[in-house]
Parts: sequence; C-alpha cells; structure tokens
Amino acid sequence: MPVLELRGVTKVFPGVVANDDVSLTLERGEIVALLGENGAGKSTLMNVVYGLLTPDGGEILVDGNPVRIRRPRQAIDLGIGMVHQHFMLVETLTATENIVLGREPTRLGVVDLAVARASVVELSERYGLKVDPDKRVMELSVGMQQRVEILKALYQGARILILDEPTAVLTPQEVTELFGVVRSLVTAGLSVVLITHKLEEVLASADRVVVMRDGRVVGETRPSDTDEISLARMMVGRDVVLRVEKGPANPGEVALEVTDLDVDDDRRLHAVKGVSFQVRRGEVVAIAGVSGNGQSEIIEAIVGLRRPRGGSITLLGHDITHSSTASTIAAGVSHVPEDRHRRGLVLEFDLAENLILGDHRRMPFSRRGFLRPKAIAATAKKRISEYDVRTPSASVLAGNLSGGNQQKLVLARELGRDPECLIAAQPTRGLDVGAIEFVHKRILAERDAGKAVLLVSLELEEVQSLADRILVIYEGRLVAEFAGGQVDAETLGVYMTGGGRGAASGVSTTGGVSA
Amino acid sequence: MPSVGVAEIVSTVVQPDLFAAAIRIATPLALAAIGGTICERSGVVNIALEGLMLISAFFGVAAALACPVVLGITGVAASWIGVLAAILAGVVMASLHAFASITLKSNQVVSGTAINILALGLTGFLIQVFYQRTGTTDSAVLIPPLFAFDPKPSGGLATAWNWFSGVALGHTPLVYITIVIAIAAQWALYRTRWGLRLRALGEHPRAADTVGISVVRGRYMAVLMSGALAGLAGANLTLEQVGSFSENMTAGRGFIALAANIFGRWTPVGSYLAALLFGFAEALEIRLQAFIGVIKIPPQFFLMLPYILTVVVLAGFMGRAVAPAAVGKPYEKE
Ligand SMILES: Nc1ncnc2c1ncn2[C@@H]1O[C@H](COP(=O)(O)OP(=O)(O)O)[C@@H](O)[C@H]1O
Ligand SMILES: [Mg+2]
Repeated sequence: MPVLELRGVTKVFPGVVANDDVSLTLERGEIVALLGENGAGKSTLMNVVYGLLTPDGGEILVDGNPVRIRRPRQAIDLGIGMVHQHFMLVETLTATENIVLGREPTRLGVVDLAVARASVVELSERYGLKVDPDKRVMELSVGMQQRVEILKALYQGARILILDEPTAVLTPQEVTELFGVVRSLVTAGLSVVLITHKLEEVLASADRVVVMRDGRVVGETRPSDTDEISLARMMVGRDVVLRVEKGPANPGEVALEVTDLDVDDDRRLHAVKGVSFQVRRGEVVAIAGVSGNGQSEIIEAIVGLRRPRGGSITLLGHDITHSSTASTIAAGVSHVPEDRHRRGLVLEFDLAENLILGDHRRMPFSRRGFLRPKAIAATAKKRISEYDVRTPSASVLAGNLSGGNQQKLVLARELGRDPECLIAAQPTRGLDVGAIEFVHKRILAERDAGKAVLLVSLELEEVQSLADRILVIYEGRLVAEFAGGQVDAETLGVYMTGGGRGAASGVSTTGGVSA
Repeated sequence: MPSVGVAEIVSTVVQPDLFAAAIRIATPLALAAIGGTICERSGVVNIALEGLMLISAFFGVAAALACPVVLGITGVAASWIGVLAAILAGVVMASLHAFASITLKSNQVVSGTAINILALGLTGFLIQVFYQRTGTTDSAVLIPPLFAFDPKPSGGLATAWNWFSGVALGHTPLVYITIVIAIAAQWALYRTRWGLRLRALGEHPRAADTVGISVVRGRYMAVLMSGALAGLAGANLTLEQVGSFSENMTAGRGFIALAANIFGRWTPVGSYLAALLFGFAEALEIRLQAFIGVIKIPPQFFLMLPYILTVVVLAGFMGRAVAPAAVGKPYEKE
C-alpha cells in the first residue's frame, strides 16, 4: 500500500489551472522525483498535500486512508513534512528554536532549551545533518539553513518528506551531501518526494520519475528506462537543445574596458584586486569562478551599484568609472542581475511597470515627469510577446510569475533597450531546461548583433557553452584566460580553486587569447 | 537679575525628586511602550497607543467617580475599580484595532490613526455628557503611594537614606507594577513558549503557520495585551498622577511610547529604560524652568528638550534598529 496517494487533485487559481486531475503514488522507502518546468504546478500540488492550499477537487490518501488536509498542522500530524522552495525559517531565531517551533518541549510554559537542543543534536547525528544548533539562522549558509529545514520536518515526526527544489540554492558539494542525506532517510524508512527541474539529479537519485507539464502529469518512468534528452522532451513538450549551437565569434572594437579595478565588498574587505580585461563587440567573455571570489563586486562596480576603490572602467571610450546607474544605463550598459528578486524586478509592480524601470525617465515612457500609460502598455505588450513571457496580461504582478518567466521579463527589459554592452550575472540560475535554452539563445543573438557580452556564471556548463573567452577569477584576481572551447571543466575547476598556477604559462594570462 | 552660578543650579536641580519625577513620568510611557513591543513583536503596528491610553484614562476616572453612586464603593477602592475599568476600556478599544488589522486585513496605520481620532472625540464628548462641562472631569480619589517612610532620620547614613527613599520609595503602586511587568515580559519573551511563538509571528508568520501556530490567535492576543497595558498607562495618568481627566491629556505620550519601544529595540526592559530616559528629560525640563529668568536661554528651549532628545535618539543612535520583519503586513494565507 502506498504511504501517499493522490487521486485526481485539481487546483485552480484565477486564470490558471495549476493542477489538473493529478494522480500520484509514493511507496514506503521510495524517492519519487517530480519533474517539470517552472510553472508546471509542482509546488502547488505539494502545497495542497501540506495543507497550505485547499484543492478544488480530488482525493488524498495517507496509508490508504482518505484524509482531508486543510492546515499544515494536520499534515504534520499525518507524518508529512515539507521543505519549501523559499525557506520557512525565522531568521532571528536559532537553529534549535526554529526546529522545535510549534512543538517546543516546555515545563509550565517555559521552553526547555536544553531538552530541545539535545533532540536536535540527536537527530542531526542520526541522519548526518550537521548544523550548529545555537547559531541564529541568519548567520547560517544557505546549505545549512536547508539542513535546519529538514531537521525541522524530522523533529515533527515526518515519515513523508517533500523537498521543493532543494538543490536550486546549493553548491555542487552541498548537492552531493544532500543526496547522501536523502539516501540515509529512505534507508531509515522515510519516503521522499523530490521536486526538481534538473535532469541529471533525477537520473542519479530517484527511484521513479513523474513528469508534469501545464498542471498535468504527462508521464511516469524509471531512471533506468530513460535519459536526459527524452526527459527534457517530456518536460517541455518538444525537442530541447541542451546545448545551444553557436557560430564563431566575430570580435570588433573594444566596447568595455576595465583597467586595474580595485573594489571593496560590503564588509570593506578588498574583494577585487587589480582586475583588467576587455570585452569586444561581438564576443561573449565569461568570468568563471566559485561564488564569492569578487565576481559580484566587479559587476556592481561596472553598473554603478558599488564605488570602486581604484582603477577605471570605460565604455566605448567614455569613462564610466564613477557613473551613477542612470548614466551607466544611458551610456549603453544593460544588466541582468544575479538576484532577480532583489535587484532585477520590483515584485510588487506589474509587468508593464517592471518593463520600463530604468527607462521610465525617458520618452516615450514619460514626458515632463508624467508617465505615459499608452506608450508603456504598447511597449509592454510588444516585449511580452517578443520574449515569450507567459502571463494572462501585462497587469499581473511580477511576483506572481514563475522564475523562468521572471527572468524572461528581466531580459525583455534589459535587451529591449538595445544596449551596447550586456552584463549577465548567472542569467539562468534556478531556470529549467526550456528557459535556459531561451536565455542562451538570446544572449548569443546579442553577440551576433555586435554587442559586447560579459557573462558571470558559477555553472561551468553555461560558461563553456556560451563563452568565446573565459577568464577565471580566484580571490579577487584573474588567474587564467582561455579561449572558449579550448579547455575542459576539470582544468577550469583547478584554476577556480586556486590551483594550477604553475601550469599557467601554457596559457595566456593577460588579454592575449582573444579568439 | 541675580547672578547664579552653574554649581548652584546643579545642586538645586540634582535632587532626589528629580529622579523620582523621572521614574513617575516614565511609568505611563513604559507601560504603553511595552504594550507596543508585544503588539509589534506579533507583527501588528500599534500607533493607536495614544488613543488607547486616552480612552482608558477617561474610563478609569469615570468608573472611579461612578463607583460611590452605582456600587456604593468609595475612596481608594473606587479608584482601584477605576484601574480595572481602564484596562477593560483599553482591551475593548484594542479589539477594534485587532479586528480591523488582523481579520479585515486593513492598513494598520490607518486603523491606529482612526482609533486615535475616535478616542479624542469620544472622550471630549463624554465629558460633556457625564459632567455637563467641557475640558475636564471631576476628580477621583488618587491612589496613594505604596510606602510611607520616615523623612529624615538622623545619623551618618541620613543622606544615603534620603536619596534612596526620595528616589525609590515615594511611588504609587502602578509604578512598581510597571517595573515588575517590564522584567516579567522580558523573561516571558525570551524564555516561554508564548514568547518564542510571538517572536516567530512577527518575523515570519508563514513559517509559524506551517508548523501549526495560529497567526490570527497569536496576533489577537498580542494586540489585546497591548490594549491592557495602554489601559494601565491611562489609569496611572488619571488615578495615580492627576485625579481628573482633561481633554487630550495624553498629549503625545502614546507616540513617545512608540519611540521608546523602538529605542528599546522592541524589548520590554529596553522599552522601560528608554521611557526612563524620556522621563528624565522631561523631569529635567520642569526643574530647569525655575531658572528661566537666570540662564540666558529662551524658555522654549527647555520645553523642547524631551522632543529634541526623542529626535536625536531616533535619528542618531537608532540607525540600525531592526523592526520585526513582518510588522505591519497583514497575513495572507494563500
Ligand atoms: N498563489 C497563487 N496565485 C495565483 N497563481 C498561482 C499561485 N501560485 C502559483 N500560481 C500559478 O500556478 C502555476 C503553477 O505554479 P507552481 O506550482 O509554483 O509551479 P512549479 O512549482 O512547478 O514551478 C503557475 O502558473 C503559477 O503562476
Ligand atoms: Mg515551484
């Protein structure tokens, strides 16, 4: 008998059928991967199971018994635990406090922190989930916060664990650790639903794969019976290119020139140390590196979000070193920021408003300080269809779009203003294969239209499939340069982690290898 | 104009009664501020403290005055019933704020402002209805200080005793109760299940909801508690300090209490200490007014002191004060 069974679950939001007659089973000790593009309805389905959303139809059975789950409390009591895509952690409380919240061990209403802490330590050792129980959540890394979330579910007695896109925020090492933990959980008798849109993870870890598209289950299979290509096809509903075709670069004049750039980070530590590079028209230059090695600071300095300590930045010969963001945009720099929620979009604004941010001072969007709604609406409509943003209308709030559509929205704005130079930071973070393909094609189209493109990415796959030149950054310095297609991931990895400097003489390390 | 030295001014002003006055003035501020702390920790902004204090100050007096007639209770006992009535009035009024901001999910600042205006108008109107005049009610019996003590014993410790008794012993019961409340609330906030859940509600209500904590119930409780505390503040003003109620007698204390809550970083003891600072500024102002003719500083300067202090404290030191993350946002389930 399955521990969890869904029969014909349906959930309708205004304008969207998020789940359409979805059925699914989960056996004891099994890992089922729920695979689907952004917006396919995976989170909605699991929020229904967890009692956060009320279904409009269908049935849920736990251990064969029909249940009505209307509140998370009921789900918890049935042994269902969920780690949400956006963590449900109280940042100002400690790991221990977060884990026991709602089921605190108390004596006469007083929280017994010693008992709480002991249970946390015990659970954490049993499943190999290392956390510092006394640290406040805001002081923990994202990977650590996720472990707190898993411990929270286990503490509450979960037998069925739902993980909603758990790997989207993790580094490759953390992903490996996570799957180790998941395996130890199923060995201990738990059952796991793993929501993801990453194909290799599905193939590596799941016992069974259920694929969703547009709110419906479109297929079910076992990893041994399938491969990445056919999973991608099932998920997107058409053939997907996992790696975009790219013609040779045709570099022209120097567009962006960075010379001896020195930048401090938020903690006033020297994060970028004398970095120099050029980006020519018609080429994609990628900066590869492990997160936190100064990439973000370089970008922020270029686009005017951070004041450089020294050095210079020029765009087509104009000095933009100390320009404001407004004049940097006016000079022809577009920026796809790494965090689309915090910097790319105003989530509380609608799509049309988001599409003119940064251009809102200019004709045709405003005149003498007044916005011109007709021109804004017309442009919004055009960009939304041009960039294939899936939305009922331009007056939907940006926060209601799926991640992939939000990223298309950012691209629509940044590329729509026809820049000279595109700065793209992790442009496909958290996106599914279909959306990645779209973003990659757009970036290459910019290159082929003679724009200069600077790409910063933590994904080596992405760097390798897009870049014409690859710069490797380590601890704030550019430590190596390669021509695109001339280097394998292992070599890049060695340079990214501070190795390989002795061998660097074989490759050029300063601006020489421009295709 | 006689010339007075700085030393003389200092020795005249810095007396036990300066500090006693600071504690006395701080009491209603602190009560309301702790109410604000609890309310905002749950995620509900409470700028209605001013109105809650005002309405309960009025009903405290009104109940105390009605007691002899209605219940046949007179004297200080009547005033204690007045205190209970003040608490009740604060809770009832706060339930309006709770209903508007939690159940109806309306804007909490608007709801709070509405309550402030309502309280002002309603009390002014009721003075006329009950007492057939404008501006002020009759006087109720003041609740006397808790301790009686010998003023000046002889001996080497006389100065120390006079200072101690002068600063700490001459107060009315609610002054001491306030100190107990500050400490107890601090303890409860950081040690009890209620406190842990309250802090979770104000920071991340959805996280609380997903582990089965009722956001609505927790927030209602917190708002009603802030009403009760603001009620005690009102009772202290009329039944322990003034005796009668006069129109708009809170005169912005609710807002200074709000500032004290922020300055105290949303903690009960912090709120109390901040209130004490504001109380001290006001006490100092009152003492220094005696020297208006002597010191060549415009008298308005002294009146400004507490407010300048508020502004300086909030702008200068409080740059990094972090409010509960979810404060002011109605909780939407889906
Ligand atoms: N609270 C909501 N209100 C309206 N629409 C929603 C809401 N949550 C999700 N949706 C819509 O439902 C669809 C499925 O979303 P979701 O379940 O989050 O997808 P997934 O998790 O597979 O990326 C999307 O079109 C999304 O825009
Ligand atoms: Mg999702």
